Amino acid sequence: MTDIQEDLSQENMFLQTVANALGRKTVLAELPERQEAGPPAFWREQKFEEDQPLALFKSNLEALTGRVAIVRNGAEATNQIKLWLKVLNAKSAILWDHAKLREYIDSTRLGVKTAFWNRDTSRRELIELAEQADVGITWVNYAIGYTGTVALFNGENSGRSVSLLPPTHIAVMNRSDIVPTMSTVMRILLERRGQGALPSAIDFITGPSRTSDIEMDLSIGVHGPFRMWAVVIDD
Amino acid sequence: MSDRPVLHLRDRAAKALKDEQMRQAVRKAVDRLSGNKDKAARELPNWEEWREQTRLIREHTVDHLDYYLALLTQNIRKAGGKVHFASTAGEARQLIAKLCQQYEAKHIVKSKSMVTEEIHLNSALEAAGMEVVESDLAEYILQLAGETPSHIIVPAIHKNRYQIAELFSRVNGEKVEPDTPALTRFARKVLRDKFMNADVGITGCNFAVAETGSITLVTNEGNARLSTALPKVVITVMGMERIVPTFEDLETVLSMLPRSATGQKVTSYVSVINGPRQPGDIDGCEQFHLVIVDNGRSRILADEEYRAALHCIRCGACFNVCPVYRQIGGHAYGSVYGGPIGSVITPLLENDMVFWGELPYASTLCAACTFACPAKIPLQELLFNLRQKRVSAGHTDAVEKFAFGMWKRFFKLPSTYKFAMKAASLGQKPLVKNGYITAALPILANWTNSRYLPAAADKTFRDRWKKREK
Repeated sequence: MTDIQEDLSQENMFLQTVANALGRKTVLAELPERQEAGPPAFWREQKFEEDQPLALFKSNLEALTGRVAIVRNGAEATNQIKLWLKVLNAKSAILWDHAKLREYIDSTRLGVKTAFWNRDTSRRELIELAEQADVGITWVNYAIGYTGTVALFNGENSGRSVSLLPPTHIAVMNRSDIVPTMSTVMRILLERRGQGALPSAIDFITGPSRTSDIEMDLSIGVHGPFRMWAVVIDD
Repeated sequence: MSDRPVLHLRDRAAKALKDEQMRQAVRKAVDRLSGNKDKAARELPNWEEWREQTRLIREHTVDHLDYYLALLTQNIRKAGGKVHFASTAGEARQLIAKLCQQYEAKHIVKSKSMVTEEIHLNSALEAAGMEVVESDLAEYILQLAGETPSHIIVPAIHKNRYQIAELFSRVNGEKVEPDTPALTRFARKVLRDKFMNADVGITGCNFAVAETGSITLVTNEGNARLSTALPKVVITVMGMERIVPTFEDLETVLSMLPRSATGQKVTSYVSVINGPRQPGDIDGCEQFHLVIVDNGRSRILADEEYRAALHCIRCGACFNVCPVYRQIGGHAYGSVYGGPIGSVITPLLENDMVFWGELPYASTLCAACTFACPAKIPLQELLFNLRQKRVSAGHTDAVEKFAFGMWKRFFKLPSTYKFAMKAASLGQKPLVKNGYITAALPILANWTNSRYLPAAADKTFRDRWKKREK
């Protein structure tokens, strides 16, 4: 079977057609100047009070059937998750093998069978473990108050399947990582890009998987989790 | 978009008007969606400022599309992805089929994508012996029914849960209850299995970010996440204008898209994909391909009168406020893209002012679409211009041509005009009821069936004026 390569002559012709359509003889090679970029100025410049991001995050996620528990330390966070696992009658959980999550959550005390997302296990097995698990537990890189969103960065020990395949997703975060708007996360990501590549996937997750495709009836848990709950550690 | 309906717009609309169940469903959907949108627009401070910002971002991108396409390509490659260009639907189909064959794909999952509908991708892949499964719940329903989307955001809105239960029961081999949670559960089970075993995931693209080489996918169900996290190969297909320059621009368009579409602040999932998985990553694809499609878009780009049509962010807000869409639903348009925006871009993409040139007549020119558009596309102006374009190209109905020919003949001179009005006043007598012409005259039926045609006055204005002067 022949390998399909990128066709550079086709690419040049394509871009040339676009340039011609715009009245240019050759493809524009320099960054064009612009007047306005990003969100409107008032949005970028707005100020938030200290408690606002957390309060917004909680009310927005709860409005989407989410639960938000605010705890003071790792022991409380562990207890909270243990309680929720019991409520859900969960038998197994899969966790990101994330340093922060390890630091705060004592997985031996959760009372369920646990597995960690890391390279000790093969891809195939990990995906199957996540598929079978009752709960997936992740560490949130940034949360967004204005929409009740968590942003998860994909990485070696932080696979996408953990927040996606189990019927319940529990996201754990530091209170200090809750920012007011998406702009802040975007800026941080851009700074990161200056230092190197972006993660292969950034997932902004807001509440459970949902659809209104059947008679405009809201239905929860189509492909992703039925429940998206959050533990905020305020230490 | 080579598939062309047999019936003309007028007959497609007439057929749709008889489908009371569909019309009721459409009314319910558009009322809900546009009501939610209005609420969301009130909730976000300075809505008009956001709209203007969106317009500026889209206009800047489209006006410099050559630069941003080249930049996007460069950055996707930096992230380890491959980029391909297709000038026509046929080229795109062939390319994607070859890619799938190269990876010896047998099972393909797709997440919702209008551009793959536009290029009729599924039938090409099936003809090459592959199983293609739509994973968006509505698209899955339509695939089972062998139907096409009737709304850009809620594609299966014309089907009720009893019809859906029937389709699912057929797949299941036993009865699936016609209630929404049971139907959703059933689809989850069947499709989860498809995701786990898919060789290739095919997605559309809501927005690509040129400066970072990212692809952004927006869903509520999570099917785009599954399509990109599990298969080893991901192929993303995008119309060439679906770009924003920077990450920060993304916040603006992502604020407007869900609010305008469903009234949500944000969809459940916004996934930003940056090429294939990186060394060390465990899930995500090994191979990432982006296929950029022109298929008539460069023609729209070249025509400054219509270029703004490429600013569209595919939210469907114009569908939900359109009094014509409300009455006839999506299928009557006969095209992949329906509603006001579809009526603008279809004749242009197809380069066909005769058959597809009828679509701009599926509008009352009330401008509700223009006011609803989050990118401020002057839709009703474009619809009006397209009608004009069609008429000046000489593609007018014989009846219409005859009528306006007569008009010209009689209205040119005061003497003939006077004669015509007198003749009308006398000639209409048998047709008038309560001051309106209501009889079904063959030649006027298209007018009188849907509107009241006031009768000409007994005495003409000129006669009355003359009398007054005396």
